[in-house]
Amino acid sequence: MSVRGEVLISVDSLCKSFGEQVVLNGITTEIRKGEVIAIIGPSGCGKSTFLRSLNLLEQPTGGTITFEGTDITDKSVNINKMRQKIGMVFQHFNLFPNHTIKGNIMLAPVKTGLMSKEEASRRADELLERVGLLDRADAYPSQLSGGQKQRVAIVRALAMNPDVMLFDEPTSALDPEMVGEVLELMKQLAKDGMTMVVVTHEMGFAREVANRVLFIDDGQIREENTPAEFFGNPKNPRLRDFLSKVL
Amino acid sequence: MSTVRQIMSTVRQWFLDFGDAFHQSFIEDDRWLYLVQGLGNTLIIALFAVVIGIVLGFLIAIVRSTYDREGKLNSLNGKHKFLNGILKFLNGICKIYLTVIRGTPMVVQLLIIYYVILVSVNNKIFVAVLAFGLNSAAYVAEIVRSGIMSIDVGQFEAGRSLGMNYSQTMVNIIMPQAFKNVLPALANEFIVLLKETSISGYIGLSDLTRGGDIIRSVTYQPLLPLLAVAAIYLVLVMLLSFGVGRLERRLRNNER
Repeated sequence: MSVRGEVLISVDSLCKSFGEQVVLNGITTEIRKGEVIAIIGPSGCGKSTFLRSLNLLEQPTGGTITFEGTDITDKSVNINKMRQKIGMVFQHFNLFPNHTIKGNIMLAPVKTGLMSKEEASRRADELLERVGLLDRADAYPSQLSGGQKQRVAIVRALAMNPDVMLFDEPTSALDPEMVGEVLELMKQLAKDGMTMVVVTHEMGFAREVANRVLFIDDGQIREENTPAEFFGNPKNPRLRDFLSKVL
Repeated sequence: MSTVRQIMSTVRQWFLDFGDAFHQSFIEDDRWLYLVQGLGNTLIIALFAVVIGIVLGFLIAIVRSTYDREGKLNSLNGKHKFLNGILKFLNGICKIYLTVIRGTPMVVQLLIIYYVILVSVNNKIFVAVLAFGLNSAAYVAEIVRSGIMSIDVGQFEAGRSLGMNYSQTMVNIIMPQAFKNVLPALANEFIVLLKETSISGYIGLSDLTRGGDIIRSVTYQPLLPLLAVAAIYLVLVMLLSFGVGRLERRLRNNER
């Protein structure tokens, strides 16, 4: 089931090196509206760097990233405006410990002028209700479990009404029993039509939810296919090797 | 029997002497006013120096930590080579400032500012405020910078990924956490500053220490005035520690 929406992000020969070390070596792909893309690969292969390049947390050393028609690698682009439409969820949640749960969600929409305090408050309540954490609105992040933290981190990004959500190994830092609740929320998002790019080790999620799976190794996309083909009939020998180890 | 009487008489004499000394040191000619006025000057110098230290120290810390992070995090988006140039220049200035201030004795700095740089300024309090403020700023800057650098880079990335700009992220996310982490070290710095103002006498300024010393030089009785001076410093520092302790607890309660 491939999605044929309009192109949201288009990546062209993206390169990134840290000094001598080349991490991304010419990545070209397109992300369409409503697509859910899973990125897998061995550790250190560059998949996180690729994801972090999409909102310029990593500055690419070559190539272009076009988001909604704007080349965001252009120095004259206001990257803050762009990032408001690109939500990101981190492996280690990165909630703000000095703000309450609700404060975490309201901070960016209010400070960036996207919403008034009242609007943001309403939006926060609505989102917390949706993930069943409304009763924890006034708690601080340190009082939440890992799974709860990650759900808050997800709705914090959603509060900005982004057009795409980037997930950087969202379940890797969680206790096994908490992985389910986070994946469940991500599945709901996917069902609601959110465009998602997910770096993950959860092969089940990739197979079940993604429209397309990318295999990155040595800074390049080695295989790119629908989950059925990707897992059922892998062509790249390194992907076959990788899958035999993780499945 | 006679030994008891002897002891009694000694004790009595001691009390009499103490009374005399006390009278001489503090009551006669209203000498206690030396201490009160000195205390006033000490407090004024310390207070305004702390303000200068905090403002300037935070500015320096922000310049230094922005410079340290800037390349890695693309915080300025590499947008303006010009801005990067300014930042590099400011960072250089700050580094020189820190090296000079932290590398020379406070007394020497005070003397240089009084006798060389501000030689035409007659207001000694102003000179002292400036000297101690500039000195304190260097230490505050490094304390605050260590606080900023101690905050996980993920906090910064989370703020930026939500579309907040560099200063919004600093003000709302990084600084409050950094401030809480460095509060004990900052309090320590202010205690040091308060006590260090006791060298103000070097430029002939009548601070608390100088006040006690004047009394000593008039009465030739060093014990009481100097003890009084020490006790007043001690009380001030204890009050300060108490206040900071309360602030710390309040900030911590905010999170647990």
